[in-house]
Amino acid sequence: MRAQEQYTDAELIAAISAGRELNEAIRFIYRQYSQATSSFIMQHGGSEQDADDIFQETVVAFIEVVQKGKYRGEASVKTFLNSIARNYWFNEIKKRDRSGLRDKQFELSRDKNEADVSHYISEMERKRQLRELVDQLGESCRKVLLLFYYENLSMKEMVEHLPYDNEQVVRNKKYKCLQALAGLIKDNPAIARQMQEILK
Amino acid sequence: MTPEETRKMIDQLDESRTGRPSPSQEQLIDQDPQAAQEWYYLNLAVDAVRNAGLHEQVAFIKENLRKEQNAPAKPAHTEQYIAVPANQPTKPAAERSSGAIIRSISKYSLRAAAFILVITSSTVLYKYLTVSSSSLYERYFGAYNLNTSRGETMESPIVQAYNTKNWNKVIALAGAAGARDNQVEFLAGMADLQLNRCDDAITHFEQVIAANAQAATDFYQDEAEYYLAISWLACKKVNQAMPILEKIKADPHHQYHQKVVEMSFFDLRLAQYKENK
Repeated sequence: MRAQEQYTDAELIAAISAGRELNEAIRFIYRQYSQATSSFIMQHGGSEQDADDIFQETVVAFIEVVQKGKYRGEASVKTFLNSIARNYWFNEIKKRDRSGLRDKQFELSRDKNEADVSHYISEMERKRQLRELVDQLGESCRKVLLLFYYENLSMKEMVEHLPYDNEQVVRNKKYKCLQALAGLIKDNPAIARQMQEILK
Repeated sequence: MTPEETRKMIDQLDESRTGRPSPSQEQLIDQDPQAAQEWYYLNLAVDAVRNAGLHEQVAFIKENLRKEQNAPAKPAHTEQYIAVPANQPTKPAAERSSGAIIRSISKYSLRAAAFILVITSSTVLYKYLTVSSSSLYERYFGAYNLNTSRGETMESPIVQAYNTKNWNKVIALAGAAGARDNQVEFLAGMADLQLNRCDDAITHFEQVIAANAQAATDFYQDEAEYYLAISWLACKKVNQAMPILEKIKADPHHQYHQKVVEMSFFDLRLAQYKENK
């Protein structure tokens, strides 16, 4: 492995889509693009922590968009990341109701060529709510579900990482945990509303 | 939907993950609105888990990058030495040629390198003489504070005794308890550790881990694993502590992962080397 990977946009998209070198791709994105985004957020009323959080959310959203094959490549990766981060920060300001900042500073700095990323922003917000529910599950369930659905480990491999005796116990635990999470989602009023809209 | 139907649906979901959907399940989802709704929520749940995993991975890499950036900078490259002719007249500092400056830098670099070598050698020698399992135990042992969310509304006598640091009472109450749950077992282990009875502490922590393995639970599992490793250090048995610490280090989801990552594995291995000598 090279000490510091360099990617063109096409290479970066290909690496993320194929799930290859994801760690390296994330490192590259941070090295290459975080500074500009952070500066923008800090110049527009955000703290260092805000900039850090917003960029992290942006990277997660970008990777998901790419992995789902929804990145169309109409804008460069840099422009896409900037648009997402700026709009997500704009959304955050709206939530915090700092209207002075929102209306004056942000709108003036908006890039006229920026793509409409509002649907990505609402998706990011929904994902954040869902992630909070995953955190509510408790560490043991969280771990079981992450190993299976994120790390894609087999039941046999999971036994090695968990304090359970055999695959059947892990399988039962996974069933219970996924049902518990689905239950939490079902009971969440905001998500239930979205569900009603979808079923209309 | 019955639990059995939900299970089948989860199997269907897991199979579709690998591209093998079951036609009968698909038909059920298409025809039954309740099944469709269940399917939707299960899919949302899986999406949420994947998002949480990715979020965690990005956070982990970000943190590592930050640590790298905060680490002392290494020299990007070594300047090349350029000789200055012997007959060249000496000029005031401001007018010296770049060759002289580089030679001067190189001279200082050599001195600095020699100085660093001496310091490094001294540090290694000092470490070799001072690092031991006991010193590592002293360094890494931290009292365990009972999380209030773990406790009940009415604190049990053993929790009260633990919170007031009455270690002997904790051990006595644990001994008197008929059926000991993991909390009692763990607190007894911590009390023993506080009283420097590392062997007894090890027995308690191993009991917690064994009980979890048997009942397929993980109550106090991460805590027991971490403090078991610390107890082995207290008992001067680094060889036993190392595999546990390495396991925790390799597991980013472990509650004590960050704590172990911050430990000096150089020092631990040095203590291990001394122990094996």
